[in-house]
Amino acid sequence: MVMRVLVIGCMTAFMLSFIGCGSSNKEAENEDTEDSVEAQGPSIDDQTISAILESIPSPLEISVLLKESGTKYSSSILNSADNLSKYNNNYKKALNLGIYGTDLGYTNIYQQNQDGIKYLTSIKSLADGLNIGQFFDVETIGRLATNSKNLDSLLLITTQNFNSINKYLQTQSRANLSVLLLTGGWLEAMEITCQVAASNPKNKELLEKIGEQKIILENIVLLLGFYKDTDENMASLLKDMEGLKAAFDKINIVYTYKESTMEVVNGVAVIKDNSTTTIQITTEDVENIRKATQLIRTKIIS
Amino acid sequence: MKRIILSLFIFLLIGLGSVNKLVGQCNSDNFSNACIPKLAGGFNFLKSYKIDGEGGKEKVEYSYVFTKGTQYMINLCADGQATDGIVVSLFDSGRNKVATSKINGQFISAIAYPCNATGIYYIQYTFDGSTAKCGGSALGFKR
Repeated sequence: MVMRVLVIGCMTAFMLSFIGCGSSNKEAENEDTEDSVEAQGPSIDDQTISAILESIPSPLEISVLLKESGTKYSSSILNSADNLSKYNNNYKKALNLGIYGTDLGYTNIYQQNQDGIKYLTSIKSLADGLNIGQFFDVETIGRLATNSKNLDSLLLITTQNFNSINKYLQTQSRANLSVLLLTGGWLEAMEITCQVAASNPKNKELLEKIGEQKIILENIVLLLGFYKDTDENMASLLKDMEGLKAAFDKINIVYTYKESTMEVVNGVAVIKDNSTTTIQITTEDVENIRKATQLIRTKIIS
Repeated sequence: MKRIILSLFIFLLIGLGSVNKLVGQCNSDNFSNACIPKLAGGFNFLKSYKIDGEGGKEKVEYSYVFTKGTQYMINLCADGQATDGIVVSLFDSGRNKVATSKINGQFISAIAYPCNATGIYYIQYTFDGSTAKCGGSALGFKR
C-alpha cells in the first residue's frame, strides 16, 4: 500500500512538473504577443526576409569613414531630435527610429555627447511607442556617453541594442517594422554622405561610397516589394525608393575576381584580397542621388 | 503493481530523455555573445552569428555586404579553446571562395579580411570533425 501511494505520488509530481513547464511557456508567449503591433503579412517567408535584413551593413561604417577622412562634425545635416512629436504612427516611428539610430551612431563616433543624449532620449521614446523600448538601457548608454574613454563600449552597446530589436521584431512576425527601421537608417546614412560629398566634390572615396550603395538599395527595394500588396505606406515608400533606384541606374560596379592569398599572423588568418571593384560614378550622378534621397527623407522626417 | 512500476519506469525514461535533449541542446547564443569581446582591438562590433549544426545540417550560412577599404574580422567560439572543427569560409557573390579559417589542416579561430571589392559575401560555417557542431561567431570592422 505504501509502495502504491509512493508510486502514484511520484507520477503525479512528475506530471505536474511537465504541466507547470507548459503553462509557464504559455504565459511567456502571451507576454510576447501582448505588445505586438498587428503585423502585415508579407508575400514571402520570414526566413528569406531575415536573411536579406541581416545582410544590410551598419550605417556606423559610413560614420567611421567620414570621421577618418577628416570630415568635420555637423549637427545641421542630422534630423533634429526635437522632431519626435511629429511621428505619430508606427510607420513613421519605425522609419525615424532608424534615422535617429544613424544620427546617434554619428554623434557617438564624433563623441558629441550632448547631442547623442538628445537622440538617445528620442530613440527611447520612439522605441517605447513601438513596444520595443525594453531593448534600450538609457541609463547605461547615457553614463557611457559622458566619458570619451567609453566610446568602444558605447558603440558596442548601441549596436547590440539595435541588433536585438531587429531579431526580436523578426521573431514576433513584425519584420515589416524591421524593414522600415533599416530603411530609415540607410536613408539617413545616405543623406549624411551626400551632404558631405556635395561640399567635397573631389573626394573620390566618398563618391565611390555613394555609388556602391546601389547594392544595398537593391536589397531594400526587394524587401519593401514583399509588403507592397499588404501595406499602403510601404507600397508608397517603395515607389519613392524605386525613383531613387533610377538615379543609381547609370552607376556601374565592375567586379574583377582574382584568387586571394592567406597567411597566419599571431593566430589570425590574414587574407590578401586580390579581387577589385571599380565604381563608375560622376558628380552629376551624385547630385541626382542627393536630390532623390533628400526628397524621400524630407517626406519621412516631416 | 508490476504494471504500475513498469509504467513509471517508461515514463521516467521518456522524461529523462527530454531532459537530456534539453541539456544537449546547442546554446549558440552563449557562444556568439562570448565571441564579441574576443574581436581584436580596434574592431567595432557589427553582428553576432549563431552556429547550430543540429539535425544533421552540413553548413550554416549568413550574408553581409562588405565594402572596399574596410577591414573585417570574423572570429569563432566553441566549447573549449579550439574551434571544435568549425570552419568559417567567405565566398563572394559569384560563390568564389575568398577566405577560410582552415589553412594547411590547421583550424584558425579568426580571419581578418581587408576588403578590396564591394559586394555581397556569404559567411559559411561548416563542421570538419566537429563533435558538438555548436558554436558562435562575431563580425567586426575597422577602417
